Amino acid sequence: MSDAIKSERKSLKKDLPEPLPGDLAMWFFIFAELFVFMIFFASYAYARSQNVALFDTYQKTLDRNIGAINTAFLITGSLFVVLSMACIHSGQVKKARGWLVLAEGMGVGFLSLKIIEFSDKLSHGVSLSTNTFYMFYLSLTFFHFLHVILGMVVLGIMIKAMSRIEEFGVHGIESGAAYWHMIDLVWIVLFPLVYVIH
Amino acid sequence: MSEIFTKSMARNIYYGGSAFFILLFLALTFDTHNALPDRDNREALTSQAKAGKDLWEKYDCIGCHTLLGEGAYFAPELGNVYERFGESKEAFIGFMKSRPKDGVPGRRSMPQFNFTDQELDALFEFLKYADGINNENWPPNVQG
Amino acid sequence: MQYESQNTARLYFIGAIALFIGQILFGLIIGLQYVIGDFLFPEIPFNVARMVHTNLLIVWLLMGFMGASYYLVPEEAGRELYSPFLAKLMFWVFLIAGALTVIGYLSVPYATLADITGNGILPTMGREFLEQPTITKIGIVIVALAFLYNVGMTVLTGRKTVVSLVLLTGLLGLALLFLFAFYNPHNLVHDKYYWWWVVHLWVEGVWELILAAILAFVLIKTTGLDREVIEKWLYVIIAMTLITGIIGTGHHYFWIGVPGYWQWWGSIFSAMEPIPFFIMTLFAFNAVNKRKREHPNKAAVLWALGTAVLAFLGAGVWGFLSTLAPVNYYTHGTQITASHGHMAFYGAYVMVVLTIISYAVPILRGQEAKSNGMQVMEMWSFWLMSVSMVFITLFLTGAGVVQVYLQRFTDTPQPFMVVQQKMEIFYWLRELSGVIFLIGAILYALSFLPTSTHKQQASTTSA
Repeated sequence: MSDAIKSERKSLKKDLPEPLPGDLAMWFFIFAELFVFMIFFASYAYARSQNVALFDTYQKTLDRNIGAINTAFLITGSLFVVLSMACIHSGQVKKARGWLVLAEGMGVGFLSLKIIEFSDKLSHGVSLSTNTFYMFYLSLTFFHFLHVILGMVVLGIMIKAMSRIEEFGVHGIESGAAYWHMIDLVWIVLFPLVYVIH
Repeated sequence: MSEIFTKSMARNIYYGGSAFFILLFLALTFDTHNALPDRDNREALTSQAKAGKDLWEKYDCIGCHTLLGEGAYFAPELGNVYERFGESKEAFIGFMKSRPKDGVPGRRSMPQFNFTDQELDALFEFLKYADGINNENWPPNVQG
Repeated sequence: MQYESQNTARLYFIGAIALFIGQILFGLIIGLQYVIGDFLFPEIPFNVARMVHTNLLIVWLLMGFMGASYYLVPEEAGRELYSPFLAKLMFWVFLIAGALTVIGYLSVPYATLADITGNGILPTMGREFLEQPTITKIGIVIVALAFLYNVGMTVLTGRKTVVSLVLLTGLLGLALLFLFAFYNPHNLVHDKYYWWWVVHLWVEGVWELILAAILAFVLIKTTGLDREVIEKWLYVIIAMTLITGIIGTGHHYFWIGVPGYWQWWGSIFSAMEPIPFFIMTLFAFNAVNKRKREHPNKAAVLWALGTAVLAFLGAGVWGFLSTLAPVNYYTHGTQITASHGHMAFYGAYVMVVLTIISYAVPILRGQEAKSNGMQVMEMWSFWLMSVSMVFITLFLTGAGVVQVYLQRFTDTPQPFMVVQQKMEIFYWLRELSGVIFLIGAILYALSFLPTSTHKQQASTTSA
């Protein structure tokens, strides 16, 4: 970011709240996504309250270790994205790109473990129609899984955009970062809710 | 508002979001197809029942009735008529044959379609097949 | 009018309004049959009058969309229509095919029509809204392809704006999804599953793109706001539409034999379907409030705002009322569904077509707006139609509540026909509202009749 913009932001700070990082359109999208997940989580809580025993029984069949490692993958990925943004703001584009590549690696780790977990469940004949718990487990984790894939596509676009950051603009990069954090945030709620709390 | 809001970002979200949800929809469709053999009562879909569906469409029954709740709301639900008629073929055929040709003064009345016995059998088999579909216990009661 | 070929739209608009009046007349017939069961029996049975009512609706809305496209695409693309001749030809093909189909419905029993048109070769008839003989369906595909070719070539060889591209994607989706009308398996669950790909993905998917594009065009023209601003909101609205609406198809999959998880997926996503309509309402009012010019066509602006409000009420709010699975378990296939259907179609699609007609027809005649008197008359038609449609919706909702309670919810459920008699008062009130709606529609048509000043103008331009 050029010094001019920096000083402009500083002067804005005095009388105006800091503008949102990233594009407003992205924030609409993030808001809508969070809203879907929120209703999904509330539905889960309601369905569980109707049949606690069933949920508790089948929750024990889930692999919490994989879930915990995956949590670590996503949180670390988010950290890398934060570091990358910090580098961009201090003008170190190359370093910023490196952090994003590492974040992408965390995504690969998450997806790999998730695929192992899914294929284990599928080989045991678990499907969306098995019971209400597995319906929610598969729906929520698969929906989130697809989001991780989309998030990695977004990270990929960001990595590509780094080479022409001048024309692409910082706020486009920030939008992608915000989206990645959203995916992380959702998992941080999803993991304890579906895997742990009983 | 000091926020940045660009057309290109809005466009990317439109394309990306749509593609994402189309793929998700196709995935759910795939799973649905895999789950259907246990639910859609395909064993009962005999050639007679198939002929019944052809008749059901040829006479546009859906133009007055509903079937599993879809159709017109002028005449009773038929997805569970098999049950409502006490699973009785005689009751069904008797009802179909007793429809007055010129209707009932001032009231709704199903036309007399002059179906042959064979056609009535086919329609009955079709409605029986429809009743056996596992549709999450809808309608709430036998009145449809 | 900037381009001579925009005039093609006029034919389509006239055809649309004529069929609209026809649709309302048949609506009044079936409305009366609800209370006087043997009215016109057996000459015009209920199912036949109903298919005329619904099919005319579909055909005239499609005509309206086509007219809108022929009007706005040349202006957006900055060039004449690729082939005005093809556009005119297709209008007559479409009109004649539609007229023959309706004559077929009315003159012979439906089963005979199926035989005459060779339905046995490729059976597609006898499904709700897709009652047209297979040859008519093929005709619709041909007209749609010719139309897409014509509009597509105009857009692709001209200036590509967001409005015209969104419109084009909507029309393309409309044509592609219609192909599922030819898929009619004997397995009832498969049949119903893909039938919704035409019906739901039309009205809660691609048609909304067309709606949003037309509305955006009229707002750009009447408010004088920066195109960039309107276009980015257009993207946000249609993104929300597809994000919620595609999986929202699930709200039709609760009770047709597919797995129970659709109750969750369908409920969750369709609960969000009001969001794009809500944004559209905010956006339309914001645009008009911040307008940079006073457009003399006040009636068109009124229609545009009305579209946003009633689409939100009818499609958004009334849709939400019965979209959650536990509620829908009781309301599915009752007059509650009918109430939502009426206001949603009117608010979203009828009104947007009336909006573009209101905006475009004066311009096609060489003026920015009609005379004040004629605009007042048009505004009367707006209020008569809109208020009576609100009442139709409320009365059908009342009827539906009675039906749901007596037939489904109470401990001693009563048979369908017994309950129907107890709903009679609501049906009568609905019919009365329908008559007022018809008066409104006729007034709308009359407000566009050529006056003596037009004739003078026409003679001076031709001289």
